[in-house]
Amino acid sequence: MAMKAAVLRHIRLSAAPTRTLGLASPASCRWGGVLGSVFRSLSSHGDDHLSKDEVVDRVLSVVKSFPKVDPSSVTPDVHFQKDLGLDSLDNVEIVMALEEEFKLEIPDLEADKIDSTRLAIEYIYNHPMAG
Amino acid sequence: MAAEAAAKTAAKTAAKTAIHRLSGMQKQVLSLYRGFLRAARSKPQQDRFRIESIVASEFRRNALQVDRKNFLYIEYLLRRGRKQLDQLKSPDTTGLSSVDPSSRTDH
Repeated sequence: MAMKAAVLRHIRLSAAPTRTLGLASPASCRWGGVLGSVFRSLSSHGDDHLSKDEVVDRVLSVVKSFPKVDPSSVTPDVHFQKDLGLDSLDNVEIVMALEEEFKLEIPDLEADKIDSTRLAIEYIYNHPMAG
Repeated sequence: MAAEAAAKTAAKTAAKTAIHRLSGMQKQVLSLYRGFLRAARSKPQQDRFRIESIVASEFRRNALQVDRKNFLYIEYLLRRGRKQLDQLKSPDTTGLSSVDPSSRTDH
């Protein structure tokens, strides 16, 4: 988020000039193409998606800071109950901690299915409102 | 709450058999637990912490003490829990207290 803002402060152009540049010369074409793709990924028109890496990092850090968990055993593919020795109540608590981290409200039906870091990452990464 | 016992033992069994299917009763227990934690969020921070501690220990205590097959008692605990949750959701309520029936104090 901060990086995006910093980059946007430096590149105060609209998308149109890059397309014009692209037509002018092969060199600008390349540059325009790069800028063009940079703009596509940094668009602030509702395309504010978290990167997979950021989701993974934040999910893992939430799980690692759960008091009953041994942080060294937390990977992107561990089961809360089978691998981390938690019970179903802990599972509820972890999912709620993830809700708070990503500013989401996860309905019961979905929350009951999230029993591993892998499913948590997948659900959050695919959620349009994750922040 | 007894439902917690059912939830916990059922969850452990499920984990061991590598099939994680929640029974209807187990889902109700977890849903109630979640309801309490959500209600606690809307309270002032200090109250929230206290509520969460009490609810967590009550649920786990029942998980250990109540027979998972005692469906009648579990359903009673679920009903009672839901009433308590409704009271907790009222903005006038800022906390819970818990009495351990097995402990006795001599006055």
